[in-house]
Amino acid sequence: MRWWPIVGMTKMMTEDKKYESKVRVKKMKIFKRSLNIYTVDVGNCNVLNFEMQALKSPKYNIHRFGIYSAASPKHADLLIVLGKPTKEMVEPLRCTIEQLPEPFGILLIKGCEDDGIDPNELKLPNVVASMDGCPNPSEILAVLLKISGRSD
Amino acid sequence: MSILLAHFNSNGRERFVVQEKGKIHVENENKGFKNLKLLENRNEFISDVFSDGKIEGDGVFDFRYGPVTAGVGEAGVYHLYTYGERILSVKIDTFYKRRALDDKMIAMNVNDALKTVRHVSGNFSVSHSLAFSRAIEDALNVEVDDEVKRLRAIALELERIYNHVHVISKLASAAAQLVLSAHLSELFEDSLCVNETFSGSRYLCDFVRIGGVSKIPSDKALNSVLKEIERIKKDFADLYKNSMDSANYIDRLHSTAILNAQDAMAIGLTGPSLRACNVKEDLRMNDETFKSLRIVTDEEGDSLSRMEVRAEEVLESMKFIETNMGKLNPKETAKTVLTENGEGLGWCESPSGTVLYHADVEDFKIKDLYVSTPSVFGMAAIAHSIVGNIFTDFPFAVDSFGVNFADAAR
Repeated sequence: MRWWPIVGMTKMMTEDKKYESKVRVKKMKIFKRSLNIYTVDVGNCNVLNFEMQALKSPKYNIHRFGIYSAASPKHADLLIVLGKPTKEMVEPLRCTIEQLPEPFGILLIKGCEDDGIDPNELKLPNVVASMDGCPNPSEILAVLLKISGRSD
Repeated sequence: MSILLAHFNSNGRERFVVQEKGKIHVENENKGFKNLKLLENRNEFISDVFSDGKIEGDGVFDFRYGPVTAGVGEAGVYHLYTYGERILSVKIDTFYKRRALDDKMIAMNVNDALKTVRHVSGNFSVSHSLAFSRAIEDALNVEVDDEVKRLRAIALELERIYNHVHVISKLASAAAQLVLSAHLSELFEDSLCVNETFSGSRYLCDFVRIGGVSKIPSDKALNSVLKEIERIKKDFADLYKNSMDSANYIDRLHSTAILNAQDAMAIGLTGPSLRACNVKEDLRMNDETFKSLRIVTDEEGDSLSRMEVRAEEVLESMKFIETNMGKLNPKETAKTVLTENGEGLGWCESPSGTVLYHADVEDFKIKDLYVSTPSVFGMAAIAHSIVGNIFTDFPFAVDSFGVNFADAAR
């Protein structure tokens, strides 16, 4: 006889810690529990690309939170901008944002380089959160959970 | 045959830096190097060194892949010239990702420049900082302690492990081997955690300093690294052995994007991709610190060979770490730099090939800098080897070379 149908589980078995973040997130009521994300690299040093890959590893198992990566910006709820844009990437970034279906959100992860354009200066629409430096996958996941309304 | 890695002017003279039999030396004249044009254009685009890349004909069009795609995942563009299925020629745009970090380092203090160096390519941060530090150490006559060299070697091999596992995981995913890919990506994440235990950074950032290393890991950290490496090694060996029994997986990689040794060396290719063409060319061969290391080669020069070389190298690197981790007892973390001026050359074997820095230093400041990165030649090798293959072979060709735009565009 299994114990959990009787006693119940207070947290998921695969969870050894809670994902918490102090990053301020602008609430959008439209995102409820599920999130389709699309990432765009605008000139980061590749660490953020690797961290996004690591986030998709079974260790974090983001599918259980309803987080999926979309193959096209047209299918995405949330655009994740990785790095500080180079001059050449500003236009492709704007074009990508135009492709996003309404309503959408943008998460900026700026990376730890000094050069490049600060994405906050580009006045992008619907920025829901902005992270400094190169956060690790659990920090990124914590912010995604906040955005999808699964944590406060 | 010598491999041209860098071409620059120093003190009014033309210099050609070549790699031959695991050694680097400088030539003063052009010995018919075929990849000179590639080096000239690398900040704008990369194409096949054996043709001008212009393909015209009935129905031939430019299929532009990038800079925003889920497939490439980086800010770069592949121009695939095709009439529908077969790829006839490839041109790769690197300028979208060009941050001009090497230009920005001019006039910087050498220690500030070292901080910028790691941003060239975050996943090769040890290789870049090590090659840059060696160039500065060569310029300013700094001798490095043997024990510190061993610590740097361990960091370099840790970097090789996670990069190779990542490449193989991507190849498995492209071949729809999703279980294998999921297992490997878990090992990839685990090896990043090992890096964090070892140096405090998941990508071993800021570990290498000029004249030494930034910190010496505690015994407790080293023990926990060893334990984890042992587990990852066992898991990886099992996965690799089982994957080689899967005909579906092997079929996708075998005879895809074949490259012969002669062409590879003319392009300037180094690292595991060259070793997969049966060329025993590795900068670690002549390094005393790495004398216990076996150099892996393979014969066929296709995506499968490149994958096999990388997989064997993961196991070899782990063996190297296990034998060299014990009894680390460096006297000091870093030497003090005494002289202020000089010119130096530094290099190291990164996970994808030779990273090379030439630095001219005046009053501790960078006066002139030349950076040669393996991804430039890797991308030229992609452009050459993919010709005649079809669209569905594209991810195998690209991923098996282990290149990235950050490294190529700097």
